[in-house]
Amino acid sequence: MDEHTESPGRRRMLKAAAAAGILQATGPFIISARGEQPIKIGLNDPLTGTYAELGKNEQIGCEYAIEQINAKGGILGRQVQLLVEDSTSADTGAAVQKARKLIDRDKVDFLLGNVNSAMAVALGQVSNERRIYHVVTGGHTDAVTGSDCHWNVFRVCNTTRMETNSVSKTLFSKYGKKWYFITPDYAFGHTLQEGFEAALKQYGGTEVGADLVPLGATDFSSYLIKAQAAKPDVIIFLQAGQDMINALKQAVQFGLDKRFHIAGAQQELEVLDGLSPNARIGTWVFEWYWNQPNVPHVAEFVAGIRKRNNGKVPTARHWFGYVAAWTCALVANQAKTLDAVKLAKATENFKLPPEVALMPGETFYRAGDHQLMPTLYVGHAQEKGSAPEDLFHVDELVKGVDAALPVSETGCHMKWS
Amino acid sequence: MKALAGRYVDLAIWLGLATLPYWIGAAGGYTSLGTRVVVMALAATALNFLLGFTGVLSFGHAAYFGLGAYGAGMTIKYLVPSTGLGILVGVAAGTAAAAIVGALIARLRGVYFAMVTIAFGQVFYFIAFRWNAVTGGDDGLSGWRRLPIDLGFGSIDILGNDQAFYYLTLAGFAVAVAVMAALLRSPFGRSLLAIRENERRARFLGIPVEQHIWLSFVVSCFFVSLAGALYALLNNFADPHDLRWDQSGDFVIMAVLGGMRTFWGPLVGAAIFVVLQDYLSTLTDNWMSLIGVFFILVVMFFPRGVLGMLRRRKATS
Repeated sequence: MDEHTESPGRRRMLKAAAAAGILQATGPFIISARGEQPIKIGLNDPLTGTYAELGKNEQIGCEYAIEQINAKGGILGRQVQLLVEDSTSADTGAAVQKARKLIDRDKVDFLLGNVNSAMAVALGQVSNERRIYHVVTGGHTDAVTGSDCHWNVFRVCNTTRMETNSVSKTLFSKYGKKWYFITPDYAFGHTLQEGFEAALKQYGGTEVGADLVPLGATDFSSYLIKAQAAKPDVIIFLQAGQDMINALKQAVQFGLDKRFHIAGAQQELEVLDGLSPNARIGTWVFEWYWNQPNVPHVAEFVAGIRKRNNGKVPTARHWFGYVAAWTCALVANQAKTLDAVKLAKATENFKLPPEVALMPGETFYRAGDHQLMPTLYVGHAQEKGSAPEDLFHVDELVKGVDAALPVSETGCHMKWS
Repeated sequence: MKALAGRYVDLAIWLGLATLPYWIGAAGGYTSLGTRVVVMALAATALNFLLGFTGVLSFGHAAYFGLGAYGAGMTIKYLVPSTGLGILVGVAAGTAAAAIVGALIARLRGVYFAMVTIAFGQVFYFIAFRWNAVTGGDDGLSGWRRLPIDLGFGSIDILGNDQAFYYLTLAGFAVAVAVMAALLRSPFGRSLLAIRENERRARFLGIPVEQHIWLSFVVSCFFVSLAGALYALLNNFADPHDLRWDQSGDFVIMAVLGGMRTFWGPLVGAAIFVVLQDYLSTLTDNWMSLIGVFFILVVMFFPRGVLGMLRRRKATS
């Protein structure tokens, strides 16, 4: 019996070996056609889990950019192809694996991503090791263009410090100098709070209290009661996503918005959209906003995204993806090369043209730390605006260069190799 | 004859693994995917030492996997830039934690054992997640990378050369698997099987059951932390997710998928799990549902896993 069962295994092995041999023989023919192959841009972003919506929005932005790039002649005359891989929302190991897949197997020329800060840092390490030009789309942790900066890595979204710095002065001068923090208990929340504390110290304010709230908390009542008892001028919420929605809803139920000023750093259209109108309160920072009537090309971009986004307006995430993909094309066409080192050199101090920047003022990649210096939109959430999706009112535009720490203080020591 | 057939299977598996970097590209994969399969297979095989051969279900093995990862990463980042020492410290940290936790829980059985292992696992997860200053918290432990291994007469570049790192991982896997196989063949291993089959009878035979379960747990965690250390080196990154309960769940899925009563089952399960995940998630966003459906089908129709099913078919034909 065993003899019979053995032989098919052996035959199958032989077949497999033959198949592998044939595949190897066909390999070179495919490779010889590389000259006509499209340029590949790999997007590594979460498409499942907590950050799925943000990742997909970035993907839509990338796709829109690539359609435009191809219509305008592609990169160095070659068409551009976008390869998308799901990094998952929490498993950094999977994200790293997918980056290697894009680089080693699919041979992408450019790497984009990620929404998740930990993944953005980890991907930067992979792309650096493989010497691939990499644009980080939406991971905010300071390390990406700080202590973990690399010569080949550039970032579109702001650092957490830029977000806190841009809004601190307004909060301090307009709403008072006693602040209370309600901070999510993980790295992102901690760095935001540190940023605000640095500002408080600089302006001479006081921190009347701070609470660390576990990630994914649904009940904020005990923290809100404590905050109320401390009698601050401003209560600062540093949550994100669903946590922010829960926190703000309950703050309104407690009537805190009537007695204190509610504020925070990063706010996203996705969150305001998820809140009931009366809970759209507080002073926040937007990284990009769709309703900018006086800025050229924005209306066109909004219309273009609406078509691919079920009629919804673009959020900052769409803009991150759009800018990241366009950056690759613009720099490569200007420098006339795909060599990562030359591309990286050409991106330093590279100014985005107005049809890509889509914001007032100068938008450029800073040379020392490879951080994009955009405009930050400080304003307040509103119940009702000029349009149904106009949920934020921009009060003040802050230049990225004024909000960012000087390169010498970011902790970035760029090593070129 | 049967032993001979088994030897052919062993030979085919080792031949396949040893030549993997040369054919995986043609099969649509890439070297680091192979490395991931081997690392996960090592973790799943180690878990199966406890699950399949001692009959004790641990749902917290990710904790020791993660301790191995952080141990290796933190040694290279903060202490000594040496890959070998990183692995040693990682394994030592994971094993030491397992020895202490194991002593506390060796008396528990069944679902209580599983629950307490989850609880202890989450303790380590939250330490890694919240201790921002040391572990990097949610952002993970970055800013370090694996370094060439210095052998005295020359060095192996495992950073720039994916193949070299694959073979280092495979060597680790080979040693671990050989030791586990030898242990299972020893009187100690036979006692574990006896405990699995009938704990009360084993006790009457005078086998010190608690000590055996404790030792089996420690051996299992020793190799899981080795897998964790190698995993951190593969990614050049340690991540709190490595310690979380859902990572433990993945290991159990791999072992059950492949067949937990077979020695090679976890390897097959890990290969299916990792390759399927890699392949499906490129095709569709709903890849998790597909893996879930696949797992349910296997459990419902082939409760002994893929290898168990193949073996049964062989026996009946």
